[in-house]
Amino acid sequence: MTNTNLADAPVLERQTARDTKENYMARTSKRWVEPSARLSPRHSNSGDAVHEPVIDVEDFISPGQLYSTESGSMFHAGRILIVLVGLPATSKTLLSVAITRYTRWLGVRTESFHLSKYTKAHTSIPTFLSDEFHTVSGAEFKNEIIKKVTNDMTKFFEEGKGQIAIYDALNIRKDGRAALQATFKKIGAKVLFVESIVTLPELLTRNIELAIQSDDYENWGKHEAIKDYTKRITSNEALYERMSPIENLSYIIYYNFGDRIIMNNTNFGYLVSKIVFFLMNLSDKQGCIYFSRCGRSNSDKYIDDEVLNEEGIAYSKKLTDVVIDRIKQRRSERKTKAAEFNQNSKDTDVRADSYETNDDSFDPQSLAVWTAERKRTYDTARFFKEQGIEVQKRSQLKQLHPGVVADMTNDQIKENFPKEYDEYTRDPYHYRFTRAESYHDLAVRMEPLLLELEHMQKDILIIAHESTLRVLYGYFMACTSLEVPMLEFTRGQLVEISFNPFNNIVTRIPIKL
Amino acid sequence: MAVKRISNENDMKLCVVMVGLPARGKSYISQKIVRYLSWLSIGCKCFNVGNYRRVLGVDKPKYGFFDFDNMASYHVREAALEMAFKDITEWFDGNSDSDNIDNTGHSNGSLTHSVAILDATNSTRERRDWILQRCHEHGIQPMFLESWCDDPETIAANIKDIATTSPDYEGQDECSASQDFKKRIENYKSVYSSLNTADDKSLTFVKLINISHEIVINRIETYLQSRIVFYVMNIRIRPKCIWLSRHGESIYNVEQKIGGDSSLSERGLKYAAKLRELINENVENNERLSVWTSTLCRTQQTAQYLPYEKLEWKALDELDAGVCDGMTYEEIEDVYPEDFKARDDDKYEYRYRGGESYRDVVIRLEPVIMELERQENVLIITHQAVLRCIYAYFMNVPKEESPWVSIPLHTLIKLEPRAYGTKVTLIKANIPAVSTYKEKGTSHVGESTDAEGAHNMLVNAPEMTQ
Repeated sequence: MTNTNLADAPVLERQTARDTKENYMARTSKRWVEPSARLSPRHSNSGDAVHEPVIDVEDFISPGQLYSTESGSMFHAGRILIVLVGLPATSKTLLSVAITRYTRWLGVRTESFHLSKYTKAHTSIPTFLSDEFHTVSGAEFKNEIIKKVTNDMTKFFEEGKGQIAIYDALNIRKDGRAALQATFKKIGAKVLFVESIVTLPELLTRNIELAIQSDDYENWGKHEAIKDYTKRITSNEALYERMSPIENLSYIIYYNFGDRIIMNNTNFGYLVSKIVFFLMNLSDKQGCIYFSRCGRSNSDKYIDDEVLNEEGIAYSKKLTDVVIDRIKQRRSERKTKAAEFNQNSKDTDVRADSYETNDDSFDPQSLAVWTAERKRTYDTARFFKEQGIEVQKRSQLKQLHPGVVADMTNDQIKENFPKEYDEYTRDPYHYRFTRAESYHDLAVRMEPLLLELEHMQKDILIIAHESTLRVLYGYFMACTSLEVPMLEFTRGQLVEISFNPFNNIVTRIPIKL
Repeated sequence: MAVKRISNENDMKLCVVMVGLPARGKSYISQKIVRYLSWLSIGCKCFNVGNYRRVLGVDKPKYGFFDFDNMASYHVREAALEMAFKDITEWFDGNSDSDNIDNTGHSNGSLTHSVAILDATNSTRERRDWILQRCHEHGIQPMFLESWCDDPETIAANIKDIATTSPDYEGQDECSASQDFKKRIENYKSVYSSLNTADDKSLTFVKLINISHEIVINRIETYLQSRIVFYVMNIRIRPKCIWLSRHGESIYNVEQKIGGDSSLSERGLKYAAKLRELINENVENNERLSVWTSTLCRTQQTAQYLPYEKLEWKALDELDAGVCDGMTYEEIEDVYPEDFKARDDDKYEYRYRGGESYRDVVIRLEPVIMELERQENVLIITHQAVLRCIYAYFMNVPKEESPWVSIPLHTLIKLEPRAYGTKVTLIKANIPAVSTYKEKGTSHVGESTDAEGAHNMLVNAPEMTQ
């Protein structure tokens, strides 16, 4: 069996040759080009940037990108259209957003196209594929919308240097899938179908709960929204044609959020296997990720590995209280919501699990704490341990190695290493001081940890150095490599990232001593 | 839904349990996983039950030995499995004495023992239940990995490969060995029960169907498991060759400078011309060859006369020497004496100022390695350090040694990865070139012991023959 997948991929991966500066990097140039002056970082408090359009600047570099190419496409993988397939309430939007986030972080130009956004822009009818489409005018409307999305995705490949487009719609009919395959094959894109099947009642219910909170159901009564949405599911069930090998397409079936994954005829190469690798780790997150700095030690220096001082211990105590209170608060909100949901879903057979036991006690099993290996960091988790919460030291959380500039202020660096400082300010994400790590090095060595965080279902608190938190936060909020080194994490704040199918949400909670 | 578990990196014990009929590439896949994980500095070792059976005295069994009604031989095979499993538990506990058995994989002291591979057919549910039970008792996570195949061509190629290379058939002619082996497979077929999503839905398993035409991935619970699945879905179990070459001698090579983007010397250009001949003479089906180069001009000049599909990979660029780029080793020793020494002390981890370490190169090679596993007929023309990394991956060279492997200029290297080891053939172009090999502790270039062709490469290759 020959494999000709690489044949149609763009051949050029060469970088723009740059002027050679003295002896330094005498060959073509660096592995990445310097970040463009045209890009200005967003404010560090801005939200999840995963829906921002792909930055159309030639020399844009993503945080997890290993090298940059002239063509802008990576891994000789060519163009890939990922088509999601499945009934409503099967996490399709979540999957498309998550794949977008991860592949963009790797440096791939990816964009999600959500059909729901298109319909919303063109009609006040919130229920896509409702009975409306059984009428002639309804079918016309549907065709028009699909044509529009198809055109936009084609444009993204042809003009926007896009490498992966993700089409988030039901796509439950064979003829529609065949049409997509035909259209995109013509422009040299490989088409991969990802069918999401949810059979577990608790997953389904949670997806319905999330769906009725979306804009679609703004100003709707809860009861009506649930009824309407479950009707959406059942009416589409009748139309649903499951994917099968007879269609002769390349597809992945994703059962119950990764419980089982079946790949069929997906001989697409590295990038697709990397996406499946990611899907194996993705989980249905019910908890949040919390970020905190460690408490203070006496000299608070990099070179010493001190334990906490009194202030640090007080901080640790306070941190523990703040985190546990916050988690309790979120749970009680969820409980109220679940009760409300069940009240409103009486005449359907969906029931929300109220998750928690009735009393207000905190279940230590529901939270994990990861810390870096340094004494004061691990020590900051001491009161969590006292409460029976699992605390793990993770070596990957080790802070950015500062090299020769350890424990220096910016002014001291400027004074002692003026030339180096100058280079650093031009590209703080990639620059390494002597014997130091760059943020990029840190991101590359933390990739396994990012995937484990994607894996995590319960609440997790990470206590680590600011440099480490920047990289982790940067991934979950889709920050650019220009923004990551500028992100701020102070000791006065607990940073919470909560998950939502469409975007991640940051909340900063004060820790007042 | 699968319980997603978060590994505690300190006490991670994963046992990959192979499942499948003979001639389905199980040993090959096992060896590949050992190489890949070791290359990523994850401790991994393969335990081949056949090797234990040979230790128990059954070294050249006829097919009748694998008759499942033959109770005497059944007990021998059961004993072999128990021995293998005992060694696995001891290896995890760190007091392994299993090196007396011919198991491949380095019991490298610096690596924590994380992944054991139990390489056997494990074709019955009863056998797999026994393994599950034992894993449970020892706190080991089991992950089943089945290779299922009914493609006659692939099976025939694998049978031929085993009949000619397996120690079970040493000294036998290929024809009678194949005949016997086919009957052995029939014996297994009568009891084989494949993993399926109904009976085995609670197990962590991966099933590769017809060389990854279809893959079933069930209940992956940890990152490490997902990492292994990610790798095996790129493996193709058909025997193949990989061709490697350094670029021709460059102007910088002659001037003894490292890095840069210089052109080929006159002798280097001669090699480029000769390379076409070497390919024609040695590579079967060369019309389908795909040539991969780096983005640097010396590799592209080397490939210029080759009339095949070409791909440039940024990931194949030479190790970035940072501030030392364009210097000679003498100059580096002179200007950065500390760095010079630090690099000699730990060449794998040493990162040039503003540049890269061997570890950095290994990380960026991930996409290349995955694509390479998926392809057949690939010639890679790249640079000394990058080739060392690729060579280490195929030959399972430990990271203490891999940066010191000598890879001579003007030589075409043929690698044949097989179930029982990788065969290396060096094809010299007989065009003189400088040596760019630098021994530890000196800034002089050139191999002191190098009489024609006696390079460290051969010394360092741990699994040359078998």
